Amino acid sequence: MKTGTLLRTAVVMLAVTFAASLASAQALNSGAQPIALNATLAESLTLSLSANAVNFTLSAGSAANPGSTNITATTAWTLKPGRTAVGVYAYFANAAAALTDGAGNNIPSSAFFISDNGGASTALTNTVAFGGPNGGLQLANVAITGANKSSSRTDVMAFNINLTGGTLPQLPAATYTGTLNIQAQATP
Amino acid sequence: MTLRSQLGAWAARVALVIMVLAAGAHAQVLNSGASPIALQAVLNDSITVTLSTNAVNFNLTAGSANNPGSTSITATTTWLLRPNVGNLNLYAYFSSSASALTDGAGNNIPSADFQISNNGGAFTALTNTVPFGGANAGLRLSSTRILGNNRAGTRNDVMNFNINLAPLPNLPAGTYTGTLTIQAQAI
Repeated sequence: MKTGTLLRTAVVMLAVTFAASLASAQALNSGAQPIALNATLAESLTLSLSANAVNFTLSAGSAANPGSTNITATTAWTLKPGRTAVGVYAYFANAAAALTDGAGNNIPSSAFFISDNGGASTALTNTVAFGGPNGGLQLANVAITGANKSSSRTDVMAFNINLTGGTLPQLPAATYTGTLNIQAQATP
Repeated sequence: MTLRSQLGAWAARVALVIMVLAAGAHAQVLNSGASPIALQAVLNDSITVTLSTNAVNFNLTAGSANNPGSTSITATTTWLLRPNVGNLNLYAYFSSSASALTDGAGNNIPSADFQISNNGGAFTALTNTVPFGGANAGLRLSSTRILGNNRAGTRNDVMNFNINLAPLPNLPAGTYTGTLTIQAQAI
């Protein structure tokens, strides 16, 4: 009988101890303090050139008058969703006078050729997003997907002036200068 | 000594005894019954966290591992705890690990690319499951052992922030927003 009473007492004490331990395990939390985060990834499209000058030593009436150097255009972009393409363009402001001697003698853009990344050499005779009518060439068109919204590409341009067309075989000796522009555009 | 004088001395002694007895009767106090007043003083346990500011901006560079926050934030934790508390922990967390920050168009920065340096320590991503927030979306900033001498105390945690975009090179341009929450727990 006495043993039974002691046993019951022990069980009760054990239960009380267990309940107390449960109570002490209960966590006390502070209030939640929010921090508002705002991160801006700005849209950008940049194009840089490995060099900014090309010289040509012309041979009258020759189809092959290569430039003194290739130029690499590096186009880098970070675009917003919705953009579907990046185009890289080469163009002159005036198709009729891509290069001129300043005395009325001109080399038209149709006689100026670019080979992009080893491709065929192509005259600048198209109307593109920039420059004068019929004074341009699209060098590259990159489709934008979820995988390349932030990316880059390089275009290695080799240049040539073809002096065989039209009246160009009669082009007088002179120094002809001009400005070729390279520019990229993301659309839409 | 005459009989008369002896009687006088005896009478004087008797008178003195009577006076002493009378004086003793006057010094006995009279008490009322004791009326108890029950006193109860409750010192509640508490934890509070306050922040020095509530907003951080980031100017992101695509693909860059280093995109620091515009400001650090100091979390001040103040506590008053019961004797049975062993530790006080401070946590930072997001509600979702997959989209800690989002542009709202399905492009997200996960908590794994959000980093906190606490009190000048190493930058650490929020990739742990903590008592608050989403799974794998938290970080324990600090843990304070509670002893007899710091049941009431305070501490500061200075947090610097960084977003690592190296694992997200194709993240599109946009404005990404989110809420980081700081919360303490005593256990």
